[in-house]
Amino acid sequence: MLDVKNIHVSYGDAQALWDVSLAVSRDEIITLVGSNGSGKSTTLKAISGLVPLSSGEIRFEKTRIDRLHAYRIVEMGIAHVPEGRRLWPGLSVRENLELGAYIRTARNVKKETMEWVFKLFPRLEERISQLAGTLSGGEQQMLAIGRGLLSKPKLLILDEPSLGLAPLLVDEVLETIQKINRQGVTILLIEQNVTRALSLSTRCYVLELGRIVLSGTGQDLLADERVKAAYLGL
Amino acid sequence: MIVSAILLAGLYATMSYGLALIYGVMKIVNLAHAGVMMWAAYVAFILIVHLGANPFLVPILIAPVFFVFGVLLQRYVVQRVMGAPPISSLLLLFGVWLIMQNISYLVFSGDTKAVTTKYTLMTFQISGISISINRLVVFIVGVLALVVLRQFLGHTYMGKAIRATAQDKEASKLAGINTERVMETAFGIGTALASLAGSLMALIFAFDPDFGRSHLLKGFCIVVLGGLESMIGVALGALVLALAEALSVLWLMPALQDFVSFALLVIVLIVMPGGMKELVDRLIRP
Repeated sequence: MLDVKNIHVSYGDAQALWDVSLAVSRDEIITLVGSNGSGKSTTLKAISGLVPLSSGEIRFEKTRIDRLHAYRIVEMGIAHVPEGRRLWPGLSVRENLELGAYIRTARNVKKETMEWVFKLFPRLEERISQLAGTLSGGEQQMLAIGRGLLSKPKLLILDEPSLGLAPLLVDEVLETIQKINRQGVTILLIEQNVTRALSLSTRCYVLELGRIVLSGTGQDLLADERVKAAYLGL
Repeated sequence: MIVSAILLAGLYATMSYGLALIYGVMKIVNLAHAGVMMWAAYVAFILIVHLGANPFLVPILIAPVFFVFGVLLQRYVVQRVMGAPPISSLLLLFGVWLIMQNISYLVFSGDTKAVTTKYTLMTFQISGISISINRLVVFIVGVLALVVLRQFLGHTYMGKAIRATAQDKEASKLAGINTERVMETAFGIGTALASLAGSLMALIFAFDPDFGRSHLLKGFCIVVLGGLESMIGVALGALVLALAEALSVLWLMPALQDFVSFALLVIVLIVMPGGMKELVDRLIRP
């Protein structure tokens, strides 16, 4: 479904990604793990068109998407829920969701999609007229995911959805992500909590200093003592 | 006098909201705003005085033309400096303003022009206060434009996308919003508001190619007073400035009227840089 081939990304003189390749197949949950500054977020931003590649290519369902405007990539069926949620704080919950369905194909089915999102996150429906900036951290994360879903994506990209949430909420959010996946949305996600990430994902890539150093199924990586010690900090 | 200050405030608000909208979405200060006001005044002059068009319809009719002008200016000129340090867009738009001014000097010469119509001196009386019909209609058109715009920003996809882009541009891109199109639209609307304000002002004030300079400064002052986010803030800022100017005549020479907006700007920036929003916040939560 998604094919990232040998991409290099630089911010000015500083190169952030070296020769990163990864593949996501339909219905998978893929996690990226790695320490801070290892290039996880940059990889996601390259996929969704926020940062340009210096070389390499990205294909989504066989079509090249690098060099497309970010909004065109959303239209192709990739939704990216960015790190730190990045809601529009001065707009209401309803408006945040409505704008999630900005692209034409999503507008037509907005009502149904919104009902689906409210089934996943009933709390959002209770808060529908509140300004997004007044929600709690957990609710904001739900809204950010909900906004992403409203574009009816085939691939949902999540950058640290559990960041800054209480442990109980982290479980809730991760469970919901699994539920979304079972309903036919492929997931690519960054998760700090390595044990949790590995157990919920089908495969996983480990990044270090802008390169992919390991990949495999969660069980494989968890079983490898060397891996645990060197990369996962367990 | 107070009434005429309130009527003028409506016009100030129209002009300033254009500035605030462009700054809000693009984070650039549009110095060419003054040039647009001045050009709109000349276009209104030609249409009304030479071609005999209805003075109150002209501002509404030319606004769409200036909307297109704003969109093109953003797409082919300003877009090139997006993402560059602020000084680039400041210099660029200052340059655009100078070009517009000099074109006017060439075409219209530096003579002062005025639009006088049969409405210019007409007044009516309400409980002893005489109100100029001219100024009243100018006020109504200006405020009506803001009401329409408020509906647009609150209830259409493009309007909401404009607000979203002002709050977080990157998040807007990720939501599938074509932010370049949004910026063009916002610049177009801002320019249309400037033209509306300029052509309405031409019905009240005399103008020359330098017209708009002092109003631009007033616009900055109002935006600083009222805050950049809210239309109501801008409206209140416009009211405060218009009243301050009107009342200053009691103590100052009329020639020093422009000094009021300068002084107000400096005082506000020193005393309460958050503008009136800060003042209100302080009053609610002392």
